[in-house]
Amino acid sequence: MQNEPVDVLIIGAGASGAAIAWSLLETRMRILCLEQGPKLEDKDFPSRDDDYELARYGEFSCDPNVRRLKQDYPINAEDSCITPVNFNAVGGSTINFLGHWPRMKPSDFRTRSLDGVGADWPVDYETLAPFYDMNDRNTGVSGLGGNPAYPNYSPELPPIPMGKLGQTLAKGFNKKGYHWWPSDVSILSQDHDGRQKCVNAGTCDLGCAAGAKGGTNFTYWPMLENAGVELRAGCRVREIHVDESTGFATGVLYHGPDGQVHEQRAELVVVACNGVGTPRLLLNSKSKAFPEGLANRNGMVGKNLMFHPLTGVAGIFDEPMLGHEGPMACSILSQEFYETDPTRDFVRGYGLHSGRSTTPMTYALGGYGIDNPIPWGAEHREIMDNVYRYLAGLTIVSEDLPEEHNCVTLDPDLTDSDGIPAPKITYRLGENTQKMLRHGEEQAKEILLAAGAKKVLSKNDDKVWWRAGWHQMGTCRMGDDPENSVVNGWGRSHDVKNLFIVDGSIFPTAGAVNPTSTIQAMALYVGDRIKTNIETLFD
Amino acid sequence: MLNDTNRPVLDAILDELIPPSEDGKIPGAGALGVADFLPTAQAYAPDPAGSVQTILDAVSGDFVALPRDEKVAVLKRVEAAHGQAFETLVRLTYMGYYSRPETRPYVGVGAHPIHPQGYPVDRESDAMMDELTAPVRARGKAYRDAK
Repeated sequence: MQNEPVDVLIIGAGASGAAIAWSLLETRMRILCLEQGPKLEDKDFPSRDDDYELARYGEFSCDPNVRRLKQDYPINAEDSCITPVNFNAVGGSTINFLGHWPRMKPSDFRTRSLDGVGADWPVDYETLAPFYDMNDRNTGVSGLGGNPAYPNYSPELPPIPMGKLGQTLAKGFNKKGYHWWPSDVSILSQDHDGRQKCVNAGTCDLGCAAGAKGGTNFTYWPMLENAGVELRAGCRVREIHVDESTGFATGVLYHGPDGQVHEQRAELVVVACNGVGTPRLLLNSKSKAFPEGLANRNGMVGKNLMFHPLTGVAGIFDEPMLGHEGPMACSILSQEFYETDPTRDFVRGYGLHSGRSTTPMTYALGGYGIDNPIPWGAEHREIMDNVYRYLAGLTIVSEDLPEEHNCVTLDPDLTDSDGIPAPKITYRLGENTQKMLRHGEEQAKEILLAAGAKKVLSKNDDKVWWRAGWHQMGTCRMGDDPENSVVNGWGRSHDVKNLFIVDGSIFPTAGAVNPTSTIQAMALYVGDRIKTNIETLFD
Repeated sequence: MLNDTNRPVLDAILDELIPPSEDGKIPGAGALGVADFLPTAQAYAPDPAGSVQTILDAVSGDFVALPRDEKVAVLKRVEAAHGQAFETLVRLTYMGYYSRPETRPYVGVGAHPIHPQGYPVDRESDAMMDELTAPVRARGKAYRDAK
């Protein structure tokens, strides 16, 4: 079935799809967004239920291999030590993300020039700064201005409460003479722009029933639909088509909620399906012109997959830390070890995030993203009665370096419910990352003890958290050289002049911060460049 | 699956997986009725009833009448012999137990559904924030230029 052609077709209604739709509104082009997941209603958020934690192990698991909903696609991660996590709905992974909102830092954009690793971005912090500001205004960001770890900027809203846990950890960092700062978060510390402030529920991963967290289902999409952007939910794009004679994308085939296959033609196609979903779609879009997948003449699509490998250390304190109160994992952030230090045995660095403790069931089952239940029996009683509520932890968020062997390919056997080949992840930790994580664990132990922990718990193995592939980057990276990048410095495919990519797959390097703020700033930047170059867009 | 014969055995097993507190104020998983959750937990395990049955079959003799330390010894042997089923039972027991809102206050967490009430957490005053961040500000710039 064929639909009326549109000017701009955006695939994916998550962080970047929403942001670029907003940017292109002023062009008055006809904009359509196709999203494979549903539009969630208020009743769909499990945090209003008595047994809300069960949802983490069912329909609101962060792992699509656990959820297995119709809109999910399976992911083969057997050859990876980290499995990607996501959410498929209007809002994408901003439905279940935790709202961390740190920006990348100036050196993140120049790792090759400064540190001899990775690749320099075609943009820099100064160029992106106005787009960070713009996106922050659209989203509603809480934090404290004056962070010495960044060129000066001030979040619009005051910081969310750090709580007893954050205050305790802050004192530990102060004792060590280390940097820390209240977390920048896309969580409202006060009522703002018609949305309610955060009520410190602590279950940010279950969606935010209060509407206080900056998922694009709350921030961008209501305004976009009012402004005339058409959003079709439950529409799974199967492949992007290309005109063999012109080399231009012509539109897509998609599976509709009616069970039929539809064709949607478009002048300009924007892919916003995240660092796993985007290469998967391109690799599935084969043609005579692109036998190895769309926009993949140089073979780079899917390569250089980067995560932020995570591990954590917890301390047991004398008083209850009340960690279940307040936004999950967002309280304070230290970037003491973020920048390269030549005296260390690794380059680049990591962040230390306060880990607000998870709720009782999740803790008993091993913690968020970890499948390692605490012991049964008397030890269980002891842990839950005398340890759990006294915990405060630090999460080490490490920078991955781009390595070509870390990649997304198509699984030869696994498919989604529409028969579309699923992605396969091949990934191993680099040596640099391993050294970084060990360093982070040692530092975290010292900081927790300085903060007053009477005992530190660490896992005594080299494993990283498994269900923790939150940040999926690098697989369609941008660059000026068409031989080793997929898109140019403003997201346009080198091979297909009317095809753009705007999600984290275009990152040449990962930094060591949660990427959503940067993903959306980049999407706004790409939108701005499209508008600026509109006369010569397809040259 | 559960009947008058095996239900007391399962309850006794569950009371060892999550035992009651010594003062009796916190119930064990058996006394709490977590057995009712297990056979219907298909959303969380491939074959919950099968796992439960495997463990019930492996727990031989008059388990209910054993002293506590002997019950634990039996369960450790069963765990060693039927690792996967036992792990499934443990996980589902934890889920069944802590999904009951009345158990959350035992460990310091509110019984209420988390929205709309949430928790009252005071924001730090400007004075407190200034005091806490003063050492960080005093150390000055903490990033590299990239020009």
